[in-house]
Amino acid sequence: MPNITIDGKQVEFKSGQTVIQAAMNAGIDIPHFCYHPKLSISGNCRVCLVEIEKMPKLAIACSTLATEGMVVHTNSSKTLDARNAVMEFILINHPLDCPICDEAGECKLQDYAFAHSRGESRFEEIKNRKEKRVQLGPRIKFDAERCISCSRCIRFSDEIAKANQLTFTNRGDKVTITTFPGESFDNPYTLNTVDICPVGALTNNDFRFKSRVWEMSSTNSVCIGCSRGCNIEIWVRNNEILRLTPRQNEEVNSFWMCDNGRLNTFKFVNDESRIDGCYLRKDGQLVKSDWAETLEVTSKSLKEFKSNEIAFVASPFATLEDNFVLERFAKQINSNNIFSAKHILTGDQDDILIREDKTPNSFGLSILGIKNDISKLYDLIDNKNVKALFIMEEDLVGLNSEWEKVLTKLELIIVLATNKNGTTQFADIIFPAATYAEKHGTFVNFQGRVQRIRPAIATEELDRSLDGMNKSRWDKFGTKFDRWMQGKKYDAKPSWKIIALLDSYFNNKLKFKMAEEVFNEISKSNEALKNLDYDVIGDLGVTINSEVFQKV
Amino acid sequence: MATKKRLKDLTFLEKLYIPVILKGLVLTLKTMFKPKVTMEYPEVKFEPPASYRGRPVLVQEKNGVERCVACGLCSRVCPALAIEVQAAETELEKERYPEKFEINMLRCIFCGFCEEVCPEEAIVMSKDYELVFQDRDSAIFGKDKLLIPVEQLQDRIDFLRKFKK
Amino acid sequence: MNIWEVIIISLIKILIVVVLMLLTVAYLVYFERKISAWIQNRKGPNRVGWLGLLQPFADVFKLLLKEDIVPEKANKTLHTLAPFIALFVAFATYAVIPIGPSIEIFGYKVNLVVADVNIGVLYVLALTSLGVYGITFAGWSSGSKYSLLGGIRSSAQMISYEVSMGFSIAGVLLLSQSLSPTKIVEAQYGWMWNAILQPIGFITFVVSAFAETNRLPFDLPEAEPELVGGYHTEYSSFKFAGFFLAEYANMIIASMMITTLYLGGYQIPYIDKLGLSQTLTVILQVGAFLFKTAFMLFFFMWVRWSIPRFRYDQLMNLGWKVMFPLSLLNIVWVALLIMIFGF
Repeated sequence: MPNITIDGKQVEFKSGQTVIQAAMNAGIDIPHFCYHPKLSISGNCRVCLVEIEKMPKLAIACSTLATEGMVVHTNSSKTLDARNAVMEFILINHPLDCPICDEAGECKLQDYAFAHSRGESRFEEIKNRKEKRVQLGPRIKFDAERCISCSRCIRFSDEIAKANQLTFTNRGDKVTITTFPGESFDNPYTLNTVDICPVGALTNNDFRFKSRVWEMSSTNSVCIGCSRGCNIEIWVRNNEILRLTPRQNEEVNSFWMCDNGRLNTFKFVNDESRIDGCYLRKDGQLVKSDWAETLEVTSKSLKEFKSNEIAFVASPFATLEDNFVLERFAKQINSNNIFSAKHILTGDQDDILIREDKTPNSFGLSILGIKNDISKLYDLIDNKNVKALFIMEEDLVGLNSEWEKVLTKLELIIVLATNKNGTTQFADIIFPAATYAEKHGTFVNFQGRVQRIRPAIATEELDRSLDGMNKSRWDKFGTKFDRWMQGKKYDAKPSWKIIALLDSYFNNKLKFKMAEEVFNEISKSNEALKNLDYDVIGDLGVTINSEVFQKV
Repeated sequence: MATKKRLKDLTFLEKLYIPVILKGLVLTLKTMFKPKVTMEYPEVKFEPPASYRGRPVLVQEKNGVERCVACGLCSRVCPALAIEVQAAETELEKERYPEKFEINMLRCIFCGFCEEVCPEEAIVMSKDYELVFQDRDSAIFGKDKLLIPVEQLQDRIDFLRKFKK
Repeated sequence: MNIWEVIIISLIKILIVVVLMLLTVAYLVYFERKISAWIQNRKGPNRVGWLGLLQPFADVFKLLLKEDIVPEKANKTLHTLAPFIALFVAFATYAVIPIGPSIEIFGYKVNLVVADVNIGVLYVLALTSLGVYGITFAGWSSGSKYSLLGGIRSSAQMISYEVSMGFSIAGVLLLSQSLSPTKIVEAQYGWMWNAILQPIGFITFVVSAFAETNRLPFDLPEAEPELVGGYHTEYSSFKFAGFFLAEYANMIIASMMITTLYLGGYQIPYIDKLGLSQTLTVILQVGAFLFKTAFMLFFFMWVRWSIPRFRYDQLMNLGWKVMFPLSLLNIVWVALLIMIFGF
């Protein structure tokens, strides 16, 4: 492998790599705005200028190919002078409105102004005024004054989102970004430009001014919007999810996620329709009840039926752990009736990220051997072969309103649900299930990649400190008397835990205390997940053996 | 055993300590007849100088709008986590305003960091030191109690402009 | 005079003395606070009543309304007994102090002293020694190390200074040739005050009196930085008030004793030469006694707010190595006076 020398350090590189990439691999940070590892090289911000020996002038590290024997200085006085000059130039027309800018705290310009700039402006003239609060697309606001014209967003929509919608107009210091005439910046991936924008020029309508970034905690998790399972971070303040951002995972989603996943997969968690505590139907009305009584009533009611009169509905929205414990529970009471439903939105698929299958764990169900022949269940109920139904995190009525007809034929409906929906209306007993943001667990995406989710929001049974959840500064020092600590905590438990509790009224063989124990049990009994545990899966997940993958 | 020679050996008179004791007694006796410095509080109130750090307040411009843009720096810098800010969008030119601005006066330690960090000169320390509460909730001051017209705070603002770099 | 008359007169005198003493103590606290305030450039209590004159009653009510806390590990009996011992001793001492010569009221010849005991001085010494028990009991029975240390210090201190106190008094006794306070006062006719005749004895007695009453600069038993509240750390409410009362009562006794033994008691020099009526003379004399006592009380407070506390070893050194030899020297001095000048 060829070598170059950066700041006196011998660095190996692959041929074809640029200086900035070689430096990055060696852990040397060269400041950059327009360079992005997944986008084409543009070289217009000039802040990555470095001194290369035997070159007459400074060169930009992002587009200079590394060659054998090259000697690069990223901290020489010449480099620093050039960098400071570039920073000063960029800042000439930048409004310095960090106090009102949402990017503050995660802004590259802010960081570099702090770390590399000369700290004072010599510019005494009046700054350029440009358009502010431009609605570029349905989900994005653009502030032209803050823009430093790095063109990352333009290159992203051309190269990654494959939608030529943005362009520069005007020249010199008047340059600004706009959509092509008649176009709206509305491709399904627009919000990624907010993430890659090195300044606060592009802001997310949904998150705008909701919170400063340093007030939130972030938790690594997985998006539940489709079977891609994009890696995400959940940003939480006051026990409320405020935004989701993609997390880099080259095997799954690279740096990106779709707008639908980003905006529509977290709001139900803090929605008013959340089920808070257990409910029992008494005299035709659903009445709030406590856990002990509900479990007692549930077990008694279930015991009134023969085992093949009871059917179970597993869920591709629930984790492997939930479905596994449900399956075990069904076996314990000798019922073979376990079904699951498919959620396919035909046609809503592209070759970037979005998948037709709108559930995060349908592959996981296949691994566990749970069939997705829900229509069979329909017939069983219709013929009165099944009299009691145990539904876990599935909305049958929402799937198809036909179900309303057969659900009324049942004598007992037990529902584990996160939110009130069409199915919970018919339920005799409702258990509050924890959402994906409130529990540990694993999903398997369509590629067969096993990925972990972690609790980002505390429920009544979770404590941020004791359960090792990520904490913001507010969480760390808050007390129960502080108004900013009074975010709603729901009385909900993970589905596997509810079923395990219920099992203690039957055979009491599912003595699981933690999701990790459940997973270890799965990996013991399941060929596909052999030798896996939570530590091995880690933050980025593990793809299961391709032979097993083919079999499934 | 050789006695150590001290830096200053006391004379016999000094060793008696009586002159010194008498000196002390005379001093206290004199003090008894000096004018008193006591301020009888509820009737006579202390008027603090501009450098005084009383409770932090928000500056209200002449048009009735607060200067604050809800940047949250005061909240971040506050060592006691007394300040909570919730921003929201406004049609005004400043784009952003505090929908909620609460200072928990039970947490506040009157350090003045919020004032020091404020980029808009929007939060300043007032001269108000009379802070009495009957319960925890009334100790949390919202915008209604925090907003003070700029004229009343001119003293402090002038002081800050003179000394705050 | 039959026995009943004696009893009734005595009871009246006791009542008057006790009530007066309680009032005095209450106002002593008031003055203590005022004087400390003045010395520190403050105004002092001035809210309750005119010039704050009702402050003592507010203080008393506050104390009485507080919860009486007895520590779990305390010896309950002694814990309760201790303040009463302290109080009893303080009250009982008043009996022998003459505040004026005998007068005639409604035809009765009344001595302005509750009990004109011929060994009054001895009685006072004996009773003040008993006071140690109150403090020691309080310290030991509280079941707290601070109290215990305070109690031990206090008893050690009182025993040490009692020695020099006794020897100082010996000088007075030599001159007056009597143990009766009344006689001692009468012996100081004119300017023959013992304070003038035997200044060394006067100083040692005053210093010892400070130590005996546990007043600053000798309030080691309750040195706050080290011992919290000393022997009364664990006391609250009425029992604490008892100690408080006893301390100030002791202060009054000490002042009265100093007045009686060294400052001529109720004597005003050469008042009989002025040819005033007998009643006026008595009134003036009582006034003189009260004035002298008041001055001594003021002196007590003045010193308290001027001079810092001694260290414990310094206190013991002073007691045994300075005060004790000085008081012995005083006896020699008095003996010389008697031998040479034939007093």
